[in-house]
Amino acid sequence: MPKILVVDDEEHIRLLYSEELKEAGYEVITAESGYKLLERIEEEKPALIVLDIKMVDYNGLDLLQDIRNRFYDLPVILSTAYDTFKEDMKSIAADFYVVKSFDLTELKKKIAMAIETSLPS
Amino acid sequence: MAFYEENPGGITKADMVLAIPTFDEVETIDFTTVQAATGLAEYFGGIESVIVNCDNHSTDGTKEGFFATPTEMPKIYISTGPEQRGKGNNLRNLFEKVRELEAGIVVVLEADIRNVAPHWIRNLGEPIRKGSGYVCPLYVRHKYEATLTSSLVYPLMRCLYGRRVRQPNVGDFGFRGDLVDVFLKSPVWTDSVQHFGVDIWMTTIALNARLPICQSLIGSPKIHRKKDPYAHLPVLFPQVISTIFDMMTVYADFWHRVKWSKPTLLFGTDSHEAETPVPAEVNVGRLHERFLEGFDKYNGMWQNVYDQTVCPKLQEIRGLDLQHFSFPTQTWAKILFDMAKAYSRAGESQRAVLLDSLLPLYLGKVLSFVKKTERMSIQQAEDYVENECTTFEETKPYLLKVWE
Repeated sequence: MPKILVVDDEEHIRLLYSEELKEAGYEVITAESGYKLLERIEEEKPALIVLDIKMVDYNGLDLLQDIRNRFYDLPVILSTAYDTFKEDMKSIAADFYVVKSFDLTELKKKIAMAIETSLPS
Repeated sequence: MAFYEENPGGITKADMVLAIPTFDEVETIDFTTVQAATGLAEYFGGIESVIVNCDNHSTDGTKEGFFATPTEMPKIYISTGPEQRGKGNNLRNLFEKVRELEAGIVVVLEADIRNVAPHWIRNLGEPIRKGSGYVCPLYVRHKYEATLTSSLVYPLMRCLYGRRVRQPNVGDFGFRGDLVDVFLKSPVWTDSVQHFGVDIWMTTIALNARLPICQSLIGSPKIHRKKDPYAHLPVLFPQVISTIFDMMTVYADFWHRVKWSKPTLLFGTDSHEAETPVPAEVNVGRLHERFLEGFDKYNGMWQNVYDQTVCPKLQEIRGLDLQHFSFPTQTWAKILFDMAKAYSRAGESQRAVLLDSLLPLYLGKVLSFVKKTERMSIQQAEDYVENECTTFEETKPYLLKVWE
């Protein structure tokens, strides 16, 4: 069962994503901020991260750079309320992005694609 | 070995090589060398570096201009013989020199860039120092600049090798020194690779070497001294495309195992604010004419090369007027996949005709891109290109089927 780490400072989003993704067959762990996120990733070894872009104390796009530099091929899906973030070139280091919604169809589709992406190592 | 070498400092070892390939660049070699030297001094001061001018036997005084430019670090000049033209041959000499010098970091800068600046050297070299294997720059580009990359090279390379390298054939790079051994061992060393194909050839090899790939934000457009994006198209197009197709045969085992794609590392996100690119002009009427002319010349060949669903679709597209012109991306992807297969099975003489026959279709695809994106911002057009890439990736099972 692939493990997904959801990083979002809004509790209701963490709950929604957890419930729906567990139902879809994933193991889900959550983090409410970017605090010690790299260490957490190191420990938990998630198969994929769903990362909020705008958190109170953290910029998701900066966290994305840190994640990409340390875990080159770890899939990261950006989750955002607005798509204006694309003007920031840092966003191209993400595998995918989704606009936050109560309907998680798009998120689930992107998760499935990111997990089945394969490159010879 | 280079046909000719001048190494006045007797340099036998270096940590970093800054290479400037040239052919008759006397007008700009001093400027480029100064920018290179400033960048090396400013950002790589603690390591032994050397500037190498890998020349194509220029007769305009490029060598003299290079040596006359004062720099802190030593300089080496190497050149091909008088009969050996092409940037690829310059770079092959460079690879051998890098191996000889045992350099760990290599940065290649084209000589005719009017706005090259010292931080470009940092952005191409620093990721290598931090562990990347190969660095491609990300220049600021107008939506209609480098349409060969947007409409063909990027989507095709991405769906083949699974890495999202947006500008894979630009001519300026950074790479790890030991990659030269892989370059020098490549079984593909065609006439195209010796000329304009060398840039995409290097990137393809780097992608297949499974090294971490980095894209580095330059923050500026790349402004060449010679400026006409379509002037070299009849030469550039077959050389780049034949190189991609030749490499597909070599790396078939790799790309068969690639599904979807992944991003790369990114560098330079904290540097200078991005400039706004100068709008690139496109003559849509001429593109349409060239597309239609293709039917008179190549319709028979297309019937033999393409899947049975493609030719009726092309006829439909042919019937569209300029205002409603549209070339579906899935059809375009199938055309490239069918053409790659046909090319791989064709003899040498037939290959040239096949590539010629692809050019009008490419121009039709560019026209469609221009029509679809004419009211879009650069960012929106970029999203459009990303969606095209997804269509290529979704259509890849078709390639796997026809290749067998």
